[in-house]
Amino acid sequence: MQTNLLIKYVVSLLRSCAVRVFAACLLCNVAQAQNDEVPMVVIAHPGTSRDAIPRESLRAIFGMLLHKWPADTPVRVFVLRDDAPEHATFSKTILQVFPHQLRMAWDRQVFSGQGQYPEQLGSTQEILVRVATTPGAMGYVKANEVNQNVRVLRIR
Amino acid sequence: MYAYSGFAKSAVTVALIGALSLTTTLARALDLFDGDLQVHGFLMQSLINTDDNNFLGRSKDRFSTDFREIGVNASWRATPEVQLSAELLSHRAGGTDDGDLRLDYGLVDWTPYSSESGRGGVRFGRVKTSYGLYNKTRDVPFTRPSVILPQSIYFERTRNLTVSADGGEIYVENYGGGGLLSASFALGLPHADTESARVALVGLNRPGRLESDLASNFQLLYEEAGGKYRVSLTAARLDLRYKPGAGDSLRAGRLGLTPVVFSAQYNAEKWSLTGEYAVRRTSARDFGPFFYNGRADGESYYLQGTYQLAPRWEALLRYDAYYADRSDRNGRDFAAATRVPAFTRFAKDWTTGVRFDVTPAFMLRAEAHRVDGAGFLPAQDNPNPLALRQKWNLFMLLGSFRF
Repeated sequence: MQTNLLIKYVVSLLRSCAVRVFAACLLCNVAQAQNDEVPMVVIAHPGTSRDAIPRESLRAIFGMLLHKWPADTPVRVFVLRDDAPEHATFSKTILQVFPHQLRMAWDRQVFSGQGQYPEQLGSTQEILVRVATTPGAMGYVKANEVNQNVRVLRIR
Repeated sequence: MYAYSGFAKSAVTVALIGALSLTTTLARALDLFDGDLQVHGFLMQSLINTDDNNFLGRSKDRFSTDFREIGVNASWRATPEVQLSAELLSHRAGGTDDGDLRLDYGLVDWTPYSSESGRGGVRFGRVKTSYGLYNKTRDVPFTRPSVILPQSIYFERTRNLTVSADGGEIYVENYGGGGLLSASFALGLPHADTESARVALVGLNRPGRLESDLASNFQLLYEEAGGKYRVSLTAARLDLRYKPGAGDSLRAGRLGLTPVVFSAQYNAEKWSLTGEYAVRRTSARDFGPFFYNGRADGESYYLQGTYQLAPRWEALLRYDAYYADRSDRNGRDFAAATRVPAFTRFAKDWTTGVRFDVTPAFMLRAEAHRVDGAGFLPAQDNPNPLALRQKWNLFMLLGSFRF
């Protein structure tokens, strides 16, 4: 009896959520239309010997599976918070992975002892500085933020 | 009295959350190896209520607080080829697990082969078992789609037997052609001699013990387009021997379990669809006249959809079906042979739920199940099979924190 009431409560909760969906979808579309996304680029430490990387390898690196690139160079990955718009743009357009999928992939590895999280930084400026000064480092910034101290990697 | 103990438990939980927050600060301070050492963990407390039958504690017409998970892990990437990791876990689950602190995994992951297009290596120590899409992190609430995983495939009942094994796992991964292909093969000793494995496999109050041979496990996983499509195949083999105790009504029997699981998942930006199908061949022989000897092919499957209602809200709908023997789906033959109710041989479970991420580190969940059948209920929580009811409702609330 008690449970039936609880189920009813959950159903009503779901209903009220359904209303929010439409509102949220609308808002989302508006927000996306307003944000003329500045393209993101992958950057690497200037000492790297390559200027291009296959998308699958990049996914494996940002998915924290592949720890060496190119050849035997240890990689160090820098990212922003999951909810940073730059992170979402980078994930979706460059990696072509939804940010929550990336998070899931990290969680699956960290909580089974198979991998670690990438290092999270506060801003793309910080990523720019750390990538420039850390051998083997990779990260992402807005295309218009790139400077001489990092190398932009093409996707091949 | 009950109200008081409920309060005491909540107080303990709050204290633990406090302690974990402290650990977070500590972990940040513990950045000794330039970020190569990471400490993470989680804490989950749930409330379980059923209108009939007990699940995860004494839940009938009351709220059981006996489903609780606390884990802390550390990993150290010693070199780009070698990672050391370990997790301590307390998993309390009604009568099937007392929450004693255990080493959930403790392993060395060595990747001698690595190139732009793939890598290969070996993990040895206590390694989590690959099984379907969720088993490796089955006790981590944030990685599950619901409060409890679909019970037809991820039984709470036999968890200790399937969660990890002491041995090794070889793995290879290939990145190319638009996807990720990985394969793993593991050999190890599962944790067979635990009370919960014994009860699940040979029944309550047996004086003997179970021993396991080396168990093998193979998984093939393909992910297309960064995890948009995921398909996998798992096959495992477990052989167990029963050593009768003093005055045992059972003889030295043997059990063989050969599950095969097919999994498929599609992930869109706002919704995802997951299905898994398993055939579980079980054989029991030489246990003597007081046991249901014989061979049966169990069948399990579920179909699950999740939908992101709003940025921090997610809804879940799932149908999950379990049959202990697919040639006796309604359990009538079994009931005729054993006088145990036929509906203990299947369970059909409709689940709806919502998840709310209060913050990225704190999650709340509510979930309702309408179940037909008692197939996945543990005997420890329901010692008398004749007191079971066929149709029952289950309601669960969960709060989980992680760092």
